[in-house]
This record gives sequence, C-alpha cells and structure tokens, in this order.
Amino acid sequence: MTAVALGATGAPVGGRWLGFALALALWEIAARVLAGSYLLAGPVDVVVHLWQNAGLMGRALAVTAREAALGFVLGNLAAVLLAVVAVTVPRTERLVSALALVIFCLPLVATGPILRVLYGPGEGPQVTLAALAVYYTTFVPLMVGLRAVPPVWFDLVRSYGRGRWAALVQVRVPAALPYLAAGLQIAAPAAFLGAMVGEFTGAERGMGVLAIQAMRSLDVTATWALATVAAGVSVAAYAVIGQLARALRMAPPPLILAPPPPPRRGSVLRRVALWLGGAVLIWTVVLAVWWGAMALFGLNDFFAKRPGDVWEFLIVGQDALANRAVLGAALAETLAFAVPGYLAGLALGAGLAMALVLVPGMAAGVMPVAIALRSVPIITTAPLIVLALGRGPLGSVSIVAVMIFFPTLVACLSGMRQTPGQVIDLFDSYSASRVQRLIHAQLPAMLPAFFAAARMAVPAALLAVTTAEWLATGRGIGALMAMTASTSAYDMLWSATAVLSLVAVAGYLCVGALEHAVLRRHAAEQVAEQA
Amino acid sequence: MPAETDRRPPPEIVCEGLSKTFGRGGRQIEALRPLSLRFAAGRTTALLGPSGCGKSTLLRLVAGLEVPSSGSVRIGDETPAEVRARAGLAVAFQEASLLPWRTVSGNLGLALTLARRQADPAAVQRLLSLVGLDGFESRRPAELSGGMRQRAAIARCLLTEPDLLLLDEPFGSVDEQTRLRLNLDLPRLWEARGTTTLLVTHSVSEAVLLADRIVVLSPRPGQVVADIAVPLPRPRSAALLRSAAFRDLADEVSAVLADAAPGRPLAAE
Repeated sequence: MTAVALGATGAPVGGRWLGFALALALWEIAARVLAGSYLLAGPVDVVVHLWQNAGLMGRALAVTAREAALGFVLGNLAAVLLAVVAVTVPRTERLVSALALVIFCLPLVATGPILRVLYGPGEGPQVTLAALAVYYTTFVPLMVGLRAVPPVWFDLVRSYGRGRWAALVQVRVPAALPYLAAGLQIAAPAAFLGAMVGEFTGAERGMGVLAIQAMRSLDVTATWALATVAAGVSVAAYAVIGQLARALRMAPPPLILAPPPPPRRGSVLRRVALWLGGAVLIWTVVLAVWWGAMALFGLNDFFAKRPGDVWEFLIVGQDALANRAVLGAALAETLAFAVPGYLAGLALGAGLAMALVLVPGMAAGVMPVAIALRSVPIITTAPLIVLALGRGPLGSVSIVAVMIFFPTLVACLSGMRQTPGQVIDLFDSYSASRVQRLIHAQLPAMLPAFFAAARMAVPAALLAVTTAEWLATGRGIGALMAMTASTSAYDMLWSATAVLSLVAVAGYLCVGALEHAVLRRHAAEQVAEQA
Repeated sequence: MPAETDRRPPPEIVCEGLSKTFGRGGRQIEALRPLSLRFAAGRTTALLGPSGCGKSTLLRLVAGLEVPSSGSVRIGDETPAEVRARAGLAVAFQEASLLPWRTVSGNLGLALTLARRQADPAAVQRLLSLVGLDGFESRRPAELSGGMRQRAAIARCLLTEPDLLLLDEPFGSVDEQTRLRLNLDLPRLWEARGTTTLLVTHSVSEAVLLADRIVVLSPRPGQVVADIAVPLPRPRSAALLRSAAFRDLADEVSAVLADAAPGRPLAAE
C-alpha cells in the first residue's frame, strides 16, 4: 500500500477538508437547484438564519444540550453498570444482555408520551429518552471490550493468586477503555437525538420544540438551520470525545460491534429446552420489571398501564378483537414502509462502501465525512423529507433508508479496513484486480461489521418510521400513538408500545439468526466458541 | 527486595497420579495420562515433547491454573493455590503477556501490585538493567522487539523473587540468535538463587542447555517416555554448545523424542 500522511482518524489530512468542502458545495448547489420545492435550504441561507436568530437558537441549544448531557451521563452510567455486572457475574450475562436489548427496542416515539404522562411537564422525558438512546450503543462495545482480553492476561493475574476483582481492575477495565471511548463517541450524537425526540413529545423549550414550530410553519430555512446546529453539536461532541481518547493514548479498537453469541452445545432437545427456558425467564423478568416499576412508584393505573392491562386489552378483553384489528392494521402500514426502507438503507450503505474501496484512496477520504454525517440527527429533517416526497410510501421509506444508510456505510468501511494487510499483500502478489480483492478478501472481512450494523439498525428503522408518522404522515402505528396519547387512550398506547417493542426484538433476533448462518460459513472465527 | 532471611528454601514439587481431560459430554480430549513425578528442589527440569503433548498442561497444573481431573500437586508443603496466594511462584507465558497500555516498568510493577507488595522502583530498575532493558523503562510493549518483550516478561517473573519459576516456552516466539543469547544470559538470574524451575520447550538444545534433567513426554495423551539427567557443569556457556558432551546428549534426547513421536517433526509449532 502506498504511504500517505495520515491524520488522526487515519484519513489523508487534506482529503478530509476537501471532503467537507465538497459536501458543502454540493449542498449549496442542491439547494439552488431545488429552490422553491420546500425541501432544502443551502448553507448560505442557514448561516444567515442562524445569525439573525442567534439568541433564540442559543437558548434552545442550551436547553437541549443540557438534557442531552444529563441523559448522556445517566445512560452511560447505566451501560457501564450493566456491563460490569454481566462480565463479573457470568451467569447473569444472557439475562442482562436480553433485558438491555428489550429496553433498547422500546420505541422512543411511544416511550416519549408515556414518559410525558409519568413525569408531567419538565425535562424528565427528554433526559430519559436521551439516556435510553445512548445506553445500548455504549453497552454493546463495552461488553466486547471487557471480553476482548487474551486469556493469558487472566492467567497472569491468577498466577499471583488474585481473582475476578483484580482481573477486572487490572485487565478488563483498561482493556475496555478504548471500546468505552468508541461507544461514548457514538453515544454523544444519539443523546442529542434522544433529547430532541423527547422535546417532540410536548416539551416547552428546546431545539425539538423549535423544529416542530418550523415544520408547522413550513419554514424550510429554520428547519435546516436547526438540523445544522444539531449536526454541528453532534459532530463536535463526537470529535471532542475522539480527541480525549487519543490524548489518553487509547487507540480506537478494531471492531466495536459484538459478534453473535456462540451456539449452544448438546442435543437438539437440550438446546430447544435451554432456549425456551431462557426466553421464559427473560420475559418473566421483563414483565416483572414493568409491573414492579409501576407499583414501586405507585403510579395511577389510569395512565400507567400494567402488563395485565395490555393482556386484557389485546387478548382476553371484550373488545380485544377490535383492538387487535386496529393495532394490526397500523402495524402493517408501518412495516410496509419500515422494511423496504431498512433493506434499501442497508443495501445502499454496503453497496457504496464496496464501490468506494474499488476507487483508490476514495474510502479513506469519504470515511471521515461519513462518520460526521452519521452523527447528524437525520430524523430532525424527517418532516421536510415527507413534505418534499409526499405522505406516500416514498417519503417514509426514504427517511428510514437515510437513517440506516450512514451507520451501515461507516460500519462496512471500517469492517473492510480490518482485512489483514498480509491478505491484501497476497492478492497484490498475484496482481489480483480490485474486484477480486473486494470479493475474496474485503467482503468477507466486512460481513461481521455489516451484520452488527444491521442488527442495531432494526430499532433505528422503527424509530425513523414512527417519528415520520408521528410528525408528518399521520399514518401507521406512529400516528396511532400520537392520537392515543392526545386522546388519553392509554390502553392502546401501552399496547402499541409493547407490540412495537416485540416486533423490534423479533427483527433483531431474525437478523442475528441470519448473521449466524452467514458468518458460520464466511467468517468462522467470529462465531467460534470461546474456550 | 526482601532480606535473605525471609527466603524460604526452594520447594520440591510432587505430582501424584496427575491427569487432565478437557471437554465435557461427547467431545473429550485426554491431554495428560495419570503421571507421578517429583521435581527436585532448586533444580531446573525441562519438559520436552511434540506439540500438543500436554507439557504446557502439566505446567499449568503445577501452577494451579488448571484443575486436575485426578491426582494432586504439592509444592513443598503447600498446594499450588496457597503458593500463588503468597506470590511464591511466577509463570512466564508463551505469548507475550505484557499489558499493552502499561509501560515496560509499569508491566514489571504490575507483578508487585498483584502480589500485594509495595512498589519498588529501584528493584524494577535493577531487573531491567539485568535483562538489558536500560533506557526502555517508559516504552510500551508495542515499541519493543519480540526478544525484548520476552526479557521484560521474565524480568517481571523474577521481580517477586518466587521460589518456583514456571517457564512455558518463554523463548518460543523469538529468532534463533536472540533465543540463544537469552538462553545463555537469563538463567544466571535465577540459577544463583537456586530457584526450582520448570521449563516447557520443544527445542532439544534449549532443554539440554538450561536443564539439570529432561522429562520427555509422548504425543497426546501425554505420558513420560524418558527421564534424562543432564550432568553438564554450570554456569553453561556458548562454548558448551560446541562440546562433544553437549552434542552427544542432544543426540540422545533427539533420538528419544523421535521414537516417542514417530513420523512427526520435532518442532512443529
């Protein structure tokens, strides 16, 4: 490979600025071309708008940033605690991971109004949503990091007669710090997004409130200005955490997304029994936590529904059949947008990543731009996209696809970077073409990262589509939740939340099963059982 | 370093009916057939055998890092766990076991931390000098060569002044030239103290050069096929390598090893 002066992120220093300049220019050109379409405001207009409304924007930003920062701290604390428990008490790992996943799959759009009712006015829901938006993206890399430790380091600790605690302090924690830093980097933009979604659900102040106002008044420039500020803050937070990590001499870890858990051993009957037993246990705990939280805080069961209420509403109650029909129809409508958008986002992200590595130098140049764009809270522009592309399928599908596109692109590019240098050298020694190299070396190296991104994208897709429905299209389960929240039909709201979470968990597990089947063939070392 | 008087006499190691089988259910691998061995106090014993013969397993059983499937290990009048609890043994592992985020001296200091002893920068510095790592105190492992990393790892083992030193192919990953130099230099550091030493290796010349006794193990499941005394004078030097006595002994050991593992290369790792 040719030697290039590399910047801190591994990209050519000049290329990064060139990339941003190019993106800015394209943005301005697109805005001019699309002038009058109520879709895009260019960077010049955005800067002018920000200048004129600096006071208002500043106050809103301060509110949202405070909420995001609080949520960031709380969510990450929770993630660290969960991960430490799961790793130091291995018996709890499956349960903790499963609980973490279920909570991650809670639809933010539905959780928002529920939290609004539970908390009343104030910053509670925003902070909670920000915390919910970040903890999983920290938990997952942290688990990888806490486990990504050569067994010999544990032997070393044990050879001096020391146990789990010394291993945690001396080995696991320092080994996991770079993973934590990588998780925190991704968490920073997510916290901002979570706080804004929280504000969508009826806050008094903040960027999300301004975004809703701008959307209602079709103020394209204001919407883009808000999105730009949100993006700027997110990218800055991402960069600052990255700098901090580097200042502490923490190299970015090779891969921060978890490979799937190892297959269970034993006979088919035993495996099925174990799986069923585990599932029953996990769902029992989930329901117990739900019920316990409601009881613990003594919440009024008019709005704080228990698992029994949902069961009654959907399964055994008088109107259960009708309720199921309403919910089912809304869900079907939502999935009809979410699934194509999800698949399109994955295909576009992976496809572009593969195309980029075929052009020499291109991947390294695009990577930092893609990382920056990944931190943009795309969802804040959802109303605009719907406005431009219509309330039909195209708008919703596009939002989902855009939401998933950037994380997938980044994951795939960094996955392909993991191709061992010696393998590349081998291909070079046969003068293999770039296409051959892609197919036989880089694509297999990309697969684990691709699937990990695909798993994480399932709840993201549902968040995107429900937000669009909530704010703009007025269809599907997102709109159903908006309506039930405003008409105090809390049975339906809680039922919709529960069902959507189930769908997200099911989707996540399906992708995981597919991942396992594919990786077993193409990247066996990723799914090998640890000794 | 602790005063002379604190020092215990080097322990004898007694293995009684020791065996190890890995795996549960259908897939069981017998790594070590029950064996009974004594390793004399203050001497160096080499465990020699083909890859996967269970010699590392035997070493790990002595260290108490594995639980035996049957039998027992006594180190002096203690169990391995008791010896570990007072940091009375140290293991040099086959892979680099240096922590990448600690400096060289930080990695040495880790041994004292784990042994719950006071930090001792002077002792760290002295050992680093002894293994020729002067000036590399604040480097990180990634900045060192393979041989330097191994020297640092062995220096870390010696820092706690263990009664029992367990070397698991400590020079396996360094080039031949470096290995020879380490083989000649490093043993002086523990020979003087009369530390009981177990060395796992698949190199015949290393075994002959370092050990007072060579125990040859068969391919898996491991069994003792030969027990050869090495009556060469100490300290051993490069000149010894060219002596007839050394070559005769090495030939004898090689022949035993070839018989033990017919048709297999001697150093297949």
